Amino acid sequence: MEILYKYLTLADPNVRYVVLSIVLLGGVSGAVGCFNFLQKKTLVGETVAHSMLPGVLVAFLLSGVKNPYILVTGAAISGWLSILLVDAITNHSKIKSDSALAIVLSSFFGFGIVLLTMIQSRYSGNQSGLDHYIFGSAAAMSPEDSIAFAWVSILVVLLVIAYYFNLKAIIFNPDYAQSIGINSKRVNGLISFITILSISVGIKAVGIVMMSALLIIPPTAARFWTSRLVPMLLLSGFFGAFSGWIGAFVSYAKTSMPTGPWTIVAVSCIAFASMLFAPKKGVLHQRWSKLLLKRRINEENLLKAAVQNEVRGKGRLFTRESIMQRQFFEFKRWKRTINRLARKKLVLKVNTGHTLSAKGRSYGAEIDRRHKIWEVYLQRRMQMSLHLVHDEAETMEHFLTPEIEDEILSELGLCSRFNPILEIHELIPDTNLT
Amino acid sequence: MDAFWIILTGFLVASSTGMLGNLLLLRKMSMMGDALSHAVLPGIVVAYLISGSRASLPLFLGAIIMGVLTTFLIQFFSAKGKMQLDAAMGTVFTFLFAVGVIMVTRFAGEADIDADCVLHGELAFVPLQVSGFMGLGVPGPVWTLLVLLAIIQFIFWMGYKGWLITSFNAEYAQSIGVKTMIWHYSLMAATSVATVVSFESVGAILVIAFLVVPAATAYLLTDKLRLMPVLIMSQGALSAVGGYFISEALEASISGSMSVMSFFLFVAAFLWSKKKG
Repeated sequence: MEILYKYLTLADPNVRYVVLSIVLLGGVSGAVGCFNFLQKKTLVGETVAHSMLPGVLVAFLLSGVKNPYILVTGAAISGWLSILLVDAITNHSKIKSDSALAIVLSSFFGFGIVLLTMIQSRYSGNQSGLDHYIFGSAAAMSPEDSIAFAWVSILVVLLVIAYYFNLKAIIFNPDYAQSIGINSKRVNGLISFITILSISVGIKAVGIVMMSALLIIPPTAARFWTSRLVPMLLLSGFFGAFSGWIGAFVSYAKTSMPTGPWTIVAVSCIAFASMLFAPKKGVLHQRWSKLLLKRRINEENLLKAAVQNEVRGKGRLFTRESIMQRQFFEFKRWKRTINRLARKKLVLKVNTGHTLSAKGRSYGAEIDRRHKIWEVYLQRRMQMSLHLVHDEAETMEHFLTPEIEDEILSELGLCSRFNPILEIHELIPDTNLT
Repeated sequence: MDAFWIILTGFLVASSTGMLGNLLLLRKMSMMGDALSHAVLPGIVVAYLISGSRASLPLFLGAIIMGVLTTFLIQFFSAKGKMQLDAAMGTVFTFLFAVGVIMVTRFAGEADIDADCVLHGELAFVPLQVSGFMGLGVPGPVWTLLVLLAIIQFIFWMGYKGWLITSFNAEYAQSIGVKTMIWHYSLMAATSVATVVSFESVGAILVIAFLVVPAATAYLLTDKLRLMPVLIMSQGALSAVGGYFISEALEASISGSMSVMSFFLFVAAFLWSKKKG
């Protein structure tokens, strides 16, 4: 508890920079990742992050010092080259983008390993720390690093705001965007630029794999909650920043624990929870609404069958046997459905069976009517043959809304109280239905 | 003699993973090699903690189980969770890798294992693991890889038609009653086995490279699927030989050099195919 209090108040100056850096990094990469995510190029970040290793090492070899600005510049250049190479391969050969990404990733990283081992066998002392660029080391964040992250965050936010309209157009409708004169090359270049920028400053803090994860997972989680760009950017940024904060806390509370991996575990948990619990797109909600739909269809089928029995003069009392002549119900499904209907007061229990309540009768009759309307529509407008229309109408009767119903009736020129007794397939073809 | 074993190991890895890479390429799943090689880390750590040794078999088992689990999770998230496929892949493997790194850090005191050694297996050590057999000093990894190659070749040609039809026209395959999911899982399982078996001796990076680069080179050079295995193996052989000499000259990682060499061959094929039109 004390640790949490100390962490929350940021009393420890060392932790201040780590937290600030990782929160900013998480936020920025979460937002930037959305653009790659929405273009279905999520794994670009993975390739770019791996491809930065040789850049860092070449920069070190050329300059001979471990100045972070020089190394980051090197990283950014080789990240940029990797994107150009992926584009060149996909545009000028039959290789698809997934293979191009894997090819560039493995070759650049392989080259990086070659350089790293070369450096290790030649320079003895002053090369240590270069492998931070593979696995990351958030604990080594300095005040300058936090300031660099802050600048990068501001720059990215400004760029996104300035080019928001163009970005949105290119992502959601590239053809339209080009037709109104947006330069797609430039906008895609901008997306690459902010991607490379955030990865190149981030890899030293969290490492290659965790950096690409920060671009992939927050947007994936955010996508479950919204379908709009701005909320998605904000939410994804928030998820990234919040998990960064948690990751930093874990490694603060238990010093041996690495920040980057805990950040990723945290953001993954957010993503898994979003997948399960998000309203509308979450798995549980979808399961639930599917179940509700199934129940409704069962109830409507039962009511309709009962109404049809009444209309055909089979009496107001119905049992499972009499319903089964029109609609099949296993015993269990029958039991559940009739119990739900009784609870809703749509059917009433009498000693030898059930009977419809007034409300249930009009509901069932309405379903029956929709069924017939759809049959007539299919037969007249779609020229469907009569013995096919019934099955189609069996499903559509549950989905027709009163508005569509009115529209169909007026299009067919039928009276709005259209309600024949028989279904169309029970009639002879040329009977006048109106 | 050392050079020979190293090059042979490289070649064996290239030919066994290359065959599978060929199918991954056709299915647009080339990044799967990258994903699997990261995702197996927790499996390896758990296997190591349970068995308490760095013996190959438990590690293989751990990694293979993780490989299949990864495939299942990706499939589950994209089919049931409605994540887009690339995002599902990215989420699953980075998550598992993060878990693996945390486990490595947590148990670092008790176990002689680090993320470094998993990712950068080194070919230079292959000749040191000699086991005597029929009077010949054949290094252990070479045996393992020979067996693996034989198995993969066998599976590949047995399942050739199934994978072909499910790769090129999954809907049609499904409509004539082919169980596409079984083929998918078996390919992924084979890929994880090959990935794991190979990267113990050559390191993850060379596995990722050999999974995709030789196959892509062959794909640029020919349209005939029957020719591809030959081309893939030649590409692998050239990369192994060339990579070995590059590493000798630069005193650098052999695995890294082989992947760079493989890339040079790909670039050559790329330029050739462009010139040809």
